[in-house]
Amino acid sequence: MNKTLYVIERDIRLFFQYKFLIIMRAIWFVSQVLLFGVIAANMVSVSSYFQYYVAGLSVMALYSTAIFIGFDIYEEAEHGVFEYLLSLPVSRRDLVVGRSIGGGLRAFIYVGPLVAISLFVIGAISPLNFAIALLALFLFSFGISGMSIAIAVLIKSSDRFDIFMGVLDAFIVRLSTTMYPLAIIQQTNPVYGGAASFNPLSYASDLFRWGTGLEKIIYVQNPLLPLLGIVVFFGLFTFLGITIYERMIEGGGWR
Amino acid sequence: MSGIVRMVEHDFTNFFRYKWWLVGLISMNLADLFVSALVYNTILRKSVFQAIGSYFNFFAPGLAVTGLFASAFMIGREINMERRREVHHYMLSLPMTRFELAIGRVLSGGLRGMMYMSPLLLTCFIFVGFPNVWQLLMILAVLFLLAVGISGLSISIAVSTSSLEKFITARGAVYYLLFFCSTVFYPLVVIEKAGPVITTLAEINPLSGASDMIRSFLLPQFFSFSYLSIVYISTFSAIFILTAAFAYMKILERQ
Repeated sequence: MNKTLYVIERDIRLFFQYKFLIIMRAIWFVSQVLLFGVIAANMVSVSSYFQYYVAGLSVMALYSTAIFIGFDIYEEAEHGVFEYLLSLPVSRRDLVVGRSIGGGLRAFIYVGPLVAISLFVIGAISPLNFAIALLALFLFSFGISGMSIAIAVLIKSSDRFDIFMGVLDAFIVRLSTTMYPLAIIQQTNPVYGGAASFNPLSYASDLFRWGTGLEKIIYVQNPLLPLLGIVVFFGLFTFLGITIYERMIEGGGWR
Repeated sequence: MSGIVRMVEHDFTNFFRYKWWLVGLISMNLADLFVSALVYNTILRKSVFQAIGSYFNFFAPGLAVTGLFASAFMIGREINMERRREVHHYMLSLPMTRFELAIGRVLSGGLRGMMYMSPLLLTCFIFVGFPNVWQLLMILAVLFLLAVGISGLSISIAVSTSSLEKFITARGAVYYLLFFCSTVFYPLVVIEKAGPVITTLAEINPLSGASDMIRSFLLPQFFSFSYLSIVYISTFSAIFILTAAFAYMKILERQ
């Protein structure tokens, strides 16, 4: 357990070395809130769309930060750090579990202030609901991190990974309730609605909005359903990420 | 002159190596059009609906410009990679002047942007309507001018950033600022509600100029053609072609 903590600590420290990237991501978030959020709210007829969008944006930021662990794996492979990691007195399991947790945790630490800004902007009012939603976002973040690790070690090319994640991002974000309510998506196209209903980003966004306690942006009737969806997503992808990473790192299989 | 042609040929050959990139980019663009645009079409305010008719039709020309931007920007990624892998020493040793090398790269970036954008523009014509021959020639000429300017902007960033992460992040920041302060995603009547500064930025933005020009030809009942947009695009392109050529020649020689 102690060794797992070292791996987690290393991944968190590593992430905060990317100062330039962190600043730019913050600019991205702020520009999404102050430009797209404000302007798009004047374009659509959904009530309180600005608050709705900002809440979804926090989940998008969490998602895009959690997948970054996959890029770290490529960096390490390219610079020969992988062999160094394997030579450490840390078991493969500790290394793999630590990376998965570290990837999710650092995303959460980074997005934390952005989430706080979001809550301030939209005027969240329910601390108890929010504590539950926060726990779900933790699990969501670990699940995304596990998914990113699994895809990274399976694809084995940073360029293809970059593109694959871009395509996945395009569909997983657009076919979710991060940007618009489920009823509207279903009204547009039932197939899109079906995809959005089984999307981890929808679960996380719906729970986050429920956690704010703001009635006008809550569209979910029963918060247990998205919570269950996130738990299943977390369990599946954390297991897959750990299993695939553990198998691929032996004998240079990650190259 | 033959040096420029050879550079264009070299970059075009490279372009087709990025089949996955192209597939990924097209998927992202189509997701924007056939998912997001359709959903936003359902929730458009009445006043906006009266101003633009349909969000899908409004966004389709903007999508062609988005594709043009993404693909013209790819030349920067290649140049950044060449710089990191020190391939630029080889490029500088080729029997051609620095000026031919620089201009060749800017032009090939623009031409590649045009090539990638063509299917998106065709998709736009199929769904929104076809322009007449003169309008088509005008659209292609202006978009080429814009593509060369974007290519120049991308090269300027590529030679000024030392790592891929910094380049990708800078690309993101430029992308979000240029696109969110433009009429690519939303009409000017909506932007005007966000304040005079953003409105002015959107009016002089070359991406707005190109999108609105296509709209004025395809949707004349909602948009009118303005020569000012051509002036803005020409100014943008002139500035970044010169900056890129100067930066590429001077900065690479200095290393």
